[in-house]
Amino acid sequence: MEAKITIPDDAMRIDTFQPIIAPDSLEPSTPCSPSRYPEARMSSSPPMTVKKTVTSTGARISTRIKQECQESDDMEAADALKPTVALKKSASDMVNEHREHLQAEKAKEMANEEVEESGSDIGSNRGFRLKEESHLGIEEKVQAQENPYTGLSYDEYRDYKREQKMADNKVVEAGSGIRSIPGFIEKEESEEIKPDLGPERKVHEEDVKMAVKGELCVGFMGSEDSADKEFAEYIRAKGWRSTANEKYHTSQTKEERPEEANDAESGFLSGCMVKQDPEIDSNTQIKEMLCLAKPVSSGPAASVNAFSSMVRGHTAKKERVEDRSLSTVLIEDGDFPEEPDWLLVGRTAITGLSTAKGRKLENNEIVHIVFPTGDARFKQSGIVRFSTKRSGEIGRLPMEWAKCLTPLVNSSKVKVLCRCVAAPLNLHLMQEILLYASFYIHRSVLTEDDKSSWRLDASPNIDSTIYPLLTLFNLLKIKPFQKAEFTPEELNSRKRVLNLEVDVAEAVSVLPMVKRQKGSQQYLEPNKDEQAISESSLNKLVGAAEVYNLEEMEPPCTLMCDLRPYQKQALYWMSESEKGIDVEKAAETLHPCWAAFHICDERASAIYVNNFSGEATTQFPAATQMARGGILADAMGLGKTVMTIALILARTGRGSPEDEDSNSEDEVDTQYLKKERRNSEKKVRSKVRGGTLIVCPMALLSQWNDELETHSKPGSVSVCVHYGGVRSNDPEVIAEPDIVLTTYGVLTAAYKIDGEYSIFHKVDWYRVVLDEAHTIKSSRTQDLYSLLCFLHVEPWCNWAWWSKLIQKPYENGDHRGLKLIKAILRPLMLRRTKDSKDKLGRPILVLPPTDIQVIECEQSEGEHDFYDALFRRSKVQFDQFVAQGKVLHNYANILELLLRLRQCCNHPFLVMSRGDSQQFADLNKLARRFLETNPDSATSNQRAPTRAYVEEVVEGIRKGENTECPICLESADDPVLTPCAHRMCRECLLSSWRSPAIGLCPICRQLLKKNELITCPSENRFRVDINKNWKESSKVLKLLECLERVIQSGEKCIVFSQWTSFMDLLEIPLKRRGIGFLRFDGKLSQKHRERVLKEFTETSENMVLLMSLKAGGVGLNLTAASNVFLMDPWWNPAVEEQAIMRIHRIGQKRTVRVRRFIVKDTVEERMQQVQARKQRMIAGALTDEEVRSARLEELKMLFR
Amino acid sequence: MANSNLPRRIIKETQRLLSEPAPGISASPSEDNMRYFNVMILGPTQSPYEGGVFKLELFLPEEYPMAAPKVRFLTKIYHPNIDKLGRICLDILKDKWSPALQIRTVLLSIQALLSAPNPDDPLSENIAKHWKSNEAEAVETAKEWTRLYASGV
Repeated sequence: MEAKITIPDDAMRIDTFQPIIAPDSLEPSTPCSPSRYPEARMSSSPPMTVKKTVTSTGARISTRIKQECQESDDMEAADALKPTVALKKSASDMVNEHREHLQAEKAKEMANEEVEESGSDIGSNRGFRLKEESHLGIEEKVQAQENPYTGLSYDEYRDYKREQKMADNKVVEAGSGIRSIPGFIEKEESEEIKPDLGPERKVHEEDVKMAVKGELCVGFMGSEDSADKEFAEYIRAKGWRSTANEKYHTSQTKEERPEEANDAESGFLSGCMVKQDPEIDSNTQIKEMLCLAKPVSSGPAASVNAFSSMVRGHTAKKERVEDRSLSTVLIEDGDFPEEPDWLLVGRTAITGLSTAKGRKLENNEIVHIVFPTGDARFKQSGIVRFSTKRSGEIGRLPMEWAKCLTPLVNSSKVKVLCRCVAAPLNLHLMQEILLYASFYIHRSVLTEDDKSSWRLDASPNIDSTIYPLLTLFNLLKIKPFQKAEFTPEELNSRKRVLNLEVDVAEAVSVLPMVKRQKGSQQYLEPNKDEQAISESSLNKLVGAAEVYNLEEMEPPCTLMCDLRPYQKQALYWMSESEKGIDVEKAAETLHPCWAAFHICDERASAIYVNNFSGEATTQFPAATQMARGGILADAMGLGKTVMTIALILARTGRGSPEDEDSNSEDEVDTQYLKKERRNSEKKVRSKVRGGTLIVCPMALLSQWNDELETHSKPGSVSVCVHYGGVRSNDPEVIAEPDIVLTTYGVLTAAYKIDGEYSIFHKVDWYRVVLDEAHTIKSSRTQDLYSLLCFLHVEPWCNWAWWSKLIQKPYENGDHRGLKLIKAILRPLMLRRTKDSKDKLGRPILVLPPTDIQVIECEQSEGEHDFYDALFRRSKVQFDQFVAQGKVLHNYANILELLLRLRQCCNHPFLVMSRGDSQQFADLNKLARRFLETNPDSATSNQRAPTRAYVEEVVEGIRKGENTECPICLESADDPVLTPCAHRMCRECLLSSWRSPAIGLCPICRQLLKKNELITCPSENRFRVDINKNWKESSKVLKLLECLERVIQSGEKCIVFSQWTSFMDLLEIPLKRRGIGFLRFDGKLSQKHRERVLKEFTETSENMVLLMSLKAGGVGLNLTAASNVFLMDPWWNPAVEEQAIMRIHRIGQKRTVRVRRFIVKDTVEERMQQVQARKQRMIAGALTDEEVRSARLEELKMLFR
Repeated sequence: MANSNLPRRIIKETQRLLSEPAPGISASPSEDNMRYFNVMILGPTQSPYEGGVFKLELFLPEEYPMAAPKVRFLTKIYHPNIDKLGRICLDILKDKWSPALQIRTVLLSIQALLSAPNPDDPLSENIAKHWKSNEAEAVETAKEWTRLYASGV
């Protein structure tokens, strides 16, 4: 466009601008200094940006203002503020001082919104007043005063509004005071003649700007006269002439001063300073002035001089600024130059909406985008506006762009340059403006040498899964040249070829476990083992029946046993997943969560963006960073231990800083390990390289040790057990052997003491094996999450994604969460069961069949009477609880009632032992023995208890006082008396000792030996003399029959019971009938356990093993026996299942016969029904409330 | 999660602590972790800590009661056996722990420790030195600290 310069030639008018020229007018410290101006404009200038109701309210307000404008009454203009004020007051009523904080917050928000609205209101009013009264100095202040709004609390704001109103009134007065100033009035009139100009002064500014740039369309403005006036307006709008006007007032209207001073006192003038770099601001000014200088130079000499003197006064600044400012001026409609530091990402058209009216925009004109700054509350509105140099705000960007660009631009790593490509000649509100935007990314993002992962804080919400850079690429339609294998969209829409076709009913069957744990009384669950998930549920969870078509890998020659084909497959699978993908291949393979993008600028390399975390980098994210290792979740009895040993032997290695540790194996995780691993990446530097760390439950420690010993060629690997008192604290020492065995307890303890500096953290492990998890079996998804974290499974180790796509749906009972878990686990988990088939359809493992039968026992008459009496007594109690509505509060009591009934089914003696107090004939003997042994004992040098004390204790026992065990705080079970005459549970005492045979008395710290303990009363655990009065219960009778039959056939038997006291009872008839037996229960020390198991396996003297399910449930290999007797039903059949699995596993050569004993017409039978019912209920997800009422129902069933 | 396997003993102890609190001691479990207790101990009378309300935290480790609870003063206190991090030098919290001890007894012991500082087995060397060289002055400091940090909450 040809530059036409229109020069205002009226010297008189230019003269009025002269004061501007004084250099001190640029001082930013002047109360109305221009430095404050730009932001003032931002919040106040657009009269039409009434928040949310742009079209309706905006239009209405403007109309109203227009009318008021025509009435030209300042008072009314001020009145226009009133609606806002009133609104505010109603809001303030709401803010009842005693109300909750929340409400206050809400009110604040409202107030905040109102700030915006009233801001624009005031804007309109001011726009109007400006024209009316020309009291520019004060106007400026009003403008400036608006800024503090955003930072004000509601109350402050309200106060401010009052002052504001007062100030407005003053303005009005002041305005009328200077109405007589000639020239301004004249302009006023001239403007009112032009109705289509609208109330916004912006129009004028723009026009002036046009005039300056020489693009003025003369026809539009009509006359140079008005253009001249616009010019004045423009200068004022630019901010620096406000001071000029002050000076003007000083010289012309003296009465003005007090008012201004008054305003200044209202406190907002200096308090509301905008955070604006004064230098930049003055740069702008100079720039503007330079523009102005040109036209003016051909004007009257006075003004030229004035201008040039001003310019001279700022030469230094000007020169510095010139390149930039001049270039900006030049490109106002030109091309955006290529800048070395900014790389072009892409260009696209954006359709903005106008928020201004009038003729403001030229095609190809550059628009500037104004982003909300750091203020969080301001951010919330999130509106991104654009403006032009000459006309101020034009419109706003669509929200999708605003949302995506704001964080990007605020990170100052991205910038946007924008021009208008198409807009209506004369803008109305909410018209479409087509912009063409170029996006640049800063070089630093792409060239930083370090691992330069660049992550934008997309939103204050860390759970956010929306990432601006990705959104930008999307909006720019930049397609990744290499797509991520996993994308959130696919997961969201679940279109992914993940195998999600799962039977919903099946999938849901594990849900109630979670529900139940959320119940308020979780610790009173019948038994925590109940939370064990059954094998079949696990199958459902991970889908086991699948046929794995895996290669087989020959085990190393150091493995001293043969592997079955499926075990060789597992070996192959584990070593492959340990390697990750082929290392070379992996290095070239893009990590599946990352997508690769090319941006427009050819100088830039590819940019990789993580679809899940939003991280961006230029470093190739290779698949090597992916999860290595996996979960070997084969069903019990398939030989996981052997497979793992084969793996360790096949791939012995050392941890190294480059080759980060890999993991394999079981279904466990603990958060310590998670940390350990994370740590091992961070702090690999000074670590000792270790071998394989195997973490397992204490019960399996020796088994691991044994199996390592038996299955590996002697000397092929070194093993160290890091457990017990002899463990070293030197990382060098535990890094030395190839294999370190430890327990979760040791690990936990180490972590608790030393945190991330524990001995385990000081070693860079080559491999970590976690055996026997208790996590998946409790089926808590969060535990699974930590497992995935441990394995570094992306993107699932990102909490936001996990929570969004799995945790929450799962908790809400949406099966899709579970389906997704399955899909995630599938590639990570190898799970076969005994029923799995190989590719030819043959079972992978041929185990002898199991034969499970329920043996129904019928109580004898006497037994039945006893049971009946007990039942009736219990029922009375239960009914009381029901009547009081306190069943669930008395859950523990009720369980105790049930416990007695169940025990009574095993043998009435079990209940009698807790029943009525009975004289113990042999108590005197006990006392005598006690008093005799004490002086002779090895600890006789220690302080002996006084005779009186001992007698008191014995008397207590005689009276049947059952004292509370000082350790478990329960009434002592199998109590012992110490030589120091303290009484406690045997198990509690022994477990408090560090060594099995010797330890301190917990009460008096006297040294005790195990053999000094007096069982109290050892033969009198039952309050009847069971030996003398021995009578078999129907169940015991049945058992004995079975045992004798089996033993004759030469097979070994395992008898499981939940109660050691029942085993005590069983010992009597076994001894009497000469049946050799061994016992394995929780009281045995680790060493003892090993010995017992060895003896049972290797000798045929003792064909029966009495085993407590608790002790024998996990990991043990009991294949020497082929007969299982489950003496009492468990609340959770899965526990029984586990027990059976100990016997029915690899190595078992015979048919496994399982006999479950149930006494007819008793609580045992009903327990079976409850279990069945539970299984049914499990099919539907229940709320906590439903679970509670279901529990009540169950209890009622039991007492029917 | 932390609460699902809470041993009966901890439940019992908690119930008792709440139903029959020891004089001058209050201990209540945190809502989200039943093994974590917020504890307040009143400074024993006739000690420099008289009139003070001392906040402590107490945590029952997984091994509890086979391992001692972890206890720490949260309120600043001038005491030779308590360091500036609030850690307490008390044998029953270390090697002399016995499973027969309970939260209550531990807290009573700590309360007793306030009554009877033991500068011969110090945790805070400086304070202990102070205590030994000029007990009156040290006691004054302790009183001052009590007034400064432990008066009111």
